[in-house]
Amino acid sequence: MSILTVSNIKKQFGGLVAVNSVDMTVEKGSITAVIGPNGAGKTTFFNLITGVYQPDEGNVQLGSSSLVGLKPHEISRLGIARTFQNIRLFSNITVLENVMVGLHKQLKAGIVGTLFQTKKVREEELRAQEEAYHWLEYVGLAQHLNEEAQNLSYGAQRRLEIARALASKPRLLLLDEPAAGMNPRETRELTEFIHRMRDDLNVTIVLIEHDMKLVMEISEHIIVLDHGEKIAEGKPAEIRNNVKVIEAYLGKSAVTPA
Amino acid sequence: MLADILNTLPQVLVDGLALGAIYAVIALGYTMVYGILELINFAHGEIFMTGAFIGVAMLILMTGMGWLAAMPAILALILVLVVTSILTGFMGVGIERMAYRPLRNSPKLITLISAIGVSFLLQDLVRFITEYKRGNYILTGPSMFNSQFTIKFSSVSSSFSDAFFKTSTLILIICVVVMMVALDFFVNKTKWGMAMRAVAQDRDTASLMSINVNKVISLTFFIGSALGGATGVLFAVQYGTIDPYIGFILGLKAFTAAVLGGIGNIRGAMAGGIMLGLLEMFAAANLQLLTNGVLGAEYKDVFAFAILIIVLIFKPEGLFGKAVTEKV
Amino acid sequence: MQRLTSKLKGNKLAQIILLVLYVLVTSLSLYLAQASVTAFLLLLVSLLLLYYTELPDRLKWVIAGVVLVGVIPFVASTGPSYQSYMEVATVVGIYVAMALGLNIVVGLAGLLDLGFVAFFAIGAYTYGIFATAQAANFMPFGVFPLSGDSFWIFILIGCFVAALFGVLLGIPVLRVKGDYLAIVTLGFGEIIRIVFNNLDKPVNITNGAMGLASVKPPEIFGFQFVYPNQFYFIVLAILLFVILAVRRFEFSKIGRSWKAVRENEIAAQSMGIHLVRTKLLAFAIGASFSGMMGVVFAAKQTFVDPTSFTLLESITILVMVILGGMGSVPGVILGAAVITILNLQVLTEVTNYLNQLSLNGVISFPEALSPAKMQRFIFGAILIIFAIYRPQGLIPAKNPVFDEESLKEGSENHRKKQIKVESDKGFQA
Ligand SMILES: Nc1ncnc2c1ncn2[C@@H]1O[C@H](COP(=O)(O)OP(=O)(O)O)[C@@H](O)[C@H]1O
Ligand SMILES: [Mg+2]
Repeated sequence: MSILTVSNIKKQFGGLVAVNSVDMTVEKGSITAVIGPNGAGKTTFFNLITGVYQPDEGNVQLGSSSLVGLKPHEISRLGIARTFQNIRLFSNITVLENVMVGLHKQLKAGIVGTLFQTKKVREEELRAQEEAYHWLEYVGLAQHLNEEAQNLSYGAQRRLEIARALASKPRLLLLDEPAAGMNPRETRELTEFIHRMRDDLNVTIVLIEHDMKLVMEISEHIIVLDHGEKIAEGKPAEIRNNVKVIEAYLGKSAVTPA
Repeated sequence: MLADILNTLPQVLVDGLALGAIYAVIALGYTMVYGILELINFAHGEIFMTGAFIGVAMLILMTGMGWLAAMPAILALILVLVVTSILTGFMGVGIERMAYRPLRNSPKLITLISAIGVSFLLQDLVRFITEYKRGNYILTGPSMFNSQFTIKFSSVSSSFSDAFFKTSTLILIICVVVMMVALDFFVNKTKWGMAMRAVAQDRDTASLMSINVNKVISLTFFIGSALGGATGVLFAVQYGTIDPYIGFILGLKAFTAAVLGGIGNIRGAMAGGIMLGLLEMFAAANLQLLTNGVLGAEYKDVFAFAILIIVLIFKPEGLFGKAVTEKV
Repeated sequence: MQRLTSKLKGNKLAQIILLVLYVLVTSLSLYLAQASVTAFLLLLVSLLLLYYTELPDRLKWVIAGVVLVGVIPFVASTGPSYQSYMEVATVVGIYVAMALGLNIVVGLAGLLDLGFVAFFAIGAYTYGIFATAQAANFMPFGVFPLSGDSFWIFILIGCFVAALFGVLLGIPVLRVKGDYLAIVTLGFGEIIRIVFNNLDKPVNITNGAMGLASVKPPEIFGFQFVYPNQFYFIVLAILLFVILAVRRFEFSKIGRSWKAVRENEIAAQSMGIHLVRTKLLAFAIGASFSGMMGVVFAAKQTFVDPTSFTLLESITILVMVILGGMGSVPGVILGAAVITILNLQVLTEVTNYLNQLSLNGVISFPEALSPAKMQRFIFGAILIIFAIYRPQGLIPAKNPVFDEESLKEGSENHRKKQIKVESDKGFQA
């Protein structure tokens, strides 16, 4: 059963076509990778799904509802969460509070309740803290709960972004270059972690990644973008040997023997 | 009603053009700085104001020494314009060095706060220097170029009445046109102008292309502030009386003009300035008429701000700009 | 000195004894030397010292209450300067509430509002119009002025009307990209002032530049509030509410969403935060504090006109927030107190002193440099210096500290209840 269907989506910036008529279907519970050289339009593709940009043409469908025209916060409420290529944390607040923002849409406290600190609001806040702490434990950052997010190491910041996204209980999780800047050991751990996350939490994952080892190991389905176009799609083994893909990454000379 | 509007139209056009010319040059300063630093340089209105004071002070000094009588008035004015623009130009560079450059990597909010600080500081600095020297901070310059001309619009059609203007208006408009043409040439045709456009486009890439970004930013401030200061002198000659607080609201409106023309767009700022000047004069002359006396000329500032807000909401890229999507 | 402070650290008893001694000494000197501004200021400083003690929060509140309700009004009460001290204290209270309101907008939500005084004006005019005969000009029913009994309801009305205007202004304004907001709010501040200045025609609503005179003083059970020492208690009560409210909002879901929007709009949105609504709420709540104090201001001055609501006022409130520390409640309180006292007391005192000297021919002091006129210079300098050297302000904002132990337990339950986790060992570096 498919959870996300992107059909014929297009986005143009001035004269540059960043994403051109791309289709994609993501199976529920799967791990899908989006790969392609720098500037291929991968991040733009994520931005189109999450409502950060509006598509010029085409449709994005989550389950049975169309996402086109919705604002990012509305799409988040429908169950999509994401991380960012250039980490976007709330730098000056604590690690725990960062995750608590992920819980935002599940909390019900209103102005009056907050003003009078009703029992319900206090309870809810306490539960939220505990749940946020739980997610910190899940990504291995529990001991940092009271630090400011900006003081975490690079790898830890990436994990915190994932914890924040998980806290919002997504059905679909989009990871934009989660292994960027990590050393081989960290990348290996991340690979394991992404697998476990999918199994534990029943979440569907789409990720953008440059590390081919990680991509080939983890994903059940891969789509390849180049210059905004989808040039290939299939299982890791199929992609590995696809001529067009090798061309896109290494240039024509790599496939046409001199 | 239409007849009344038509009747005053010639004068509205002349006055609007004069005011618009002033907005246009000040708008250039805002737009250039915003194009490069994405910063609303609140102090720019005060640079204009300081220029007006420096100019008037020089004119008064020259009158006192009898120079003004000894040389052709236009020569004196050119001298004052040149000296003032050099001084305010360096002032702009100094402000950027001291109050903005240390904050280049800080949140935008902090830089804006510093800019507001500079603006207030300058108002008071000029206030107390003037008050200290003259006992009063409202300054009136020597009267120059005030012979009146009449354009006989009534001979074109009887529904118009004649429009009056002074020599100073003519000088103002000529100077503004010269400044704009010179700037346009500089930005589009010279090496340094190209560097400025490159930095505005993408600062990091420009610095990789071995463009000295700091130098370009200083140059931008110098040019913007020099033009602003010179306009201050022209303003003082045109309208006679100045005080240290003229820069703030005028600056705000010039910023409106910059937004109207598409912020960062130099030709747009010129067009936006002229448009705003005309609109404002039109509003001042006709609001009362158009609203049946409910709103009077006092609302002309409200009118200008309303334009700013409407443009920002519905067409934030300005009338001549292209919409850009913020990169995420 | 260092030895002393290190000894004091951790010794609560010593702290409390020293504090009480300090309050006693300053109170006594104020009591004996009534005209001493210094003694009065030093007495106020005791509240700052109190903030830095390590006493439990509850005890701090009690001590602050005793000093504010009991000690200050009492020891100041016997001399000729009584009302002028109480006036200063009242005005400080008004500005503290406003600065706390602006702090929500600027400090927590990160929105630079340069027209904040507009909401103060709206509060003031709301009461001013109905507590004078002015309302009779356009209201088809009712008898005006309303009696001073209505003041208490008007505090609430002022609060709501200002909040409403906050939303009405915010709806267009908050769609504007970040740094344009500053200039748009600045424009709006001016618009409101110009409108109040000219709304005497076609229907006379605000009485234009003439302003509204003889605003009815507050009244309860036949008792009228006319003197600063009486208003002092009204302001204190409202201020208490405001501080409580700010603190509760700050550490709630709402406060977190403000901070999230301040730190990163895109990430906040993608976590389900409604951007415009969150900003509107900050605008509305910030405005409501100002609106309440506007009502009090109108009643205290018994006169309202547009000259009280200029751009300089908006900037003054901004300076309080920046000086004290954006996002920091104690900081903003300090900032507001320092700036108000500087404005009302220090600058005039210094000016008087300098004038005295130049009268006596000791120095020749030009009128142009009189410190009382130098507000713009001083405020401008504060803004620049703090922006560059200390953007976090005098008392930087603090993040909450969560207790890991209790969260660990809670998390345990949470896991059992809600989440199906097979391996609880996270992904660890
Ligand atoms: N907001 C934007 N405005 C203009 N161009 C953009 C914008 N966002 C992305 N682009 C351009 O679209 C292309 C694709 O970018 P992106 O999706 O970030 O690539 P990738 O993530 O695959 O490296 C690039 O050429 C980039 O410069
Ligand atoms: Mg990318």
